[in-house]
Amino acid sequence: MSNQEKSVRLAYTGTSILVIGFIVLPLVFIVWMSFFSNKILSFPPEGYTLDWYRRAWEMSDFRNGFFLSLRTSLIATCVALGLGLPASFALVRGRFKGRETINTILMSPMIVPGIVGGSALFVFFLEVEFLTGWRIAGSSIGLIIAHSLIALPWMIRLVTTSLISVPPSVEEAARSLGAGPLTVFFRVTLPVIRSGVIAGSLFAFVNSFIDLEKSIFLVGPDSTTLQIALINYLEWNFDSTIGAVATVQIGLITLLLLISDRYAKLSRAF
Amino acid sequence: MLATPAIIFVAIGLLAPLALMLRNSLNHYDPTELMMSAVTAENYLKFFSDSFYQGVLWRTVWISGLSTAICLAAGVPVAYFLARHVGDLAKRMLMIVILVPLLIGNAVRTSAWMLILNDKGVLAAFLGLFGHKGQLGLMYSSAGVVIGLISVLLPFMIITLNSVFESIDRNLEDAGESLGASHLTIMRRIVLPLALPGILSGSVLCFILSMNAYATPVLIGGPTFHMMAPTVYQQIAKVMNWPFGAALAFILMAVTLILTVGVSVLVQRKYRKWSE
Repeated sequence: MSNQEKSVRLAYTGTSILVIGFIVLPLVFIVWMSFFSNKILSFPPEGYTLDWYRRAWEMSDFRNGFFLSLRTSLIATCVALGLGLPASFALVRGRFKGRETINTILMSPMIVPGIVGGSALFVFFLEVEFLTGWRIAGSSIGLIIAHSLIALPWMIRLVTTSLISVPPSVEEAARSLGAGPLTVFFRVTLPVIRSGVIAGSLFAFVNSFIDLEKSIFLVGPDSTTLQIALINYLEWNFDSTIGAVATVQIGLITLLLLISDRYAKLSRAF
Repeated sequence: MLATPAIIFVAIGLLAPLALMLRNSLNHYDPTELMMSAVTAENYLKFFSDSFYQGVLWRTVWISGLSTAICLAAGVPVAYFLARHVGDLAKRMLMIVILVPLLIGNAVRTSAWMLILNDKGVLAAFLGLFGHKGQLGLMYSSAGVVIGLISVLLPFMIITLNSVFESIDRNLEDAGESLGASHLTIMRRIVLPLALPGILSGSVLCFILSMNAYATPVLIGGPTFHMMAPTVYQQIAKVMNWPFGAALAFILMAVTLILTVGVSVLVQRKYRKWSE
């Protein structure tokens, strides 16, 4: 290696360490901070304690928010699975006009900014309530609809990429042996694209779980998602309770990412 | 049709609400009656004749532009490093390290930055070691918001650029090198022009995301720092001025679209000139 090559390499390595450090260090600090015993948040730590975790758990906004988020995201992922799986199949295997248009429509929840989509949905729900008397805004149904919209494009995106890599001849072979379309799907196609479905579900779940902009319009005063509870708390307080909640979320999401990494190349999701 | 349920769902959950909102943006707002049906451009006119809202839009645009530019400058070397200098296993690990902050959610990530930028926070303590005293003044400032936004956007930029660099044939760079070109020349004359479409899509993504940022301006910027997305929320959910809020949302979308399309066309025209 020439001297010039060495210095070029050094420059790239150095810049990358700085930039990745800039991305990761805040998370390291907030995890660290969740163990500080300081009453008022400041550096350096006076000592260490696990008390903030107990406090975070005792705060009903965080505890209930966590379970509401968990439940909402799980249901949204299931809805995205039920709607997205057949849609992906049609997008990859179907031969019909307007496939691009359908793809664009199905991806549009990802393209339309969350704050715009969320506010539009909120006003829409209230108009529906005004006309029919059904209360949707502020109910868990409304939240689930919004979160299913967030989850659907991720599901379709990851499932279609894995479907593309499966040649249609596999399905044709099963068909020619007399299997019905449903049997072919569940016994042949689904097992081959299993990794795409798992990765799609995990990404759908995570992106629904962390959503802020769409949910902020749709949570009720007594039932907020974890993210909204966090931002409401942060607007007026800043102590290590936040660190404890953040650490739990960081742990959960890291775990889910490590799992999805086993099933699909992560960078392909973007 | 297998895609029908999904399309109906998106149509009811997104397209119909958007259409209703567009219609609402032409309605009249009355402080006591709230929304009154009308066909008027008054909400759009209000926006463009009020220097406060123009200021909000202008601040949103320059903060987004600046954040995108910094992300581009910082993202290129990292993405190139990941594509060319890192082995498979290390790359997989680094990707997870970059993706965790990306998927951790804006509330948690912004709270982490509040901890650092705070006057009693990490950065102040660090600078204190070198004898720096007094206020940092980064919380509730544009600089703080830009820092927070960059950390939100950088992972997107790095991931987009990395896949672009990976798709460029390494032999082209080797050929340039064997002809005696320096690394900078190779980057400037070979790699970057080839990566231009990807650079463009990464920048567009970052720009759109920061135009719509909510958590960072609210939490780091504070109550007096106004950007577009929080203003939309405030008008629709707090003031209940749906017509004006709807107009704000569509102005935000339109400005984002015009700027991204405009810049894309300009860059592509220049790119054609380069490659001729």
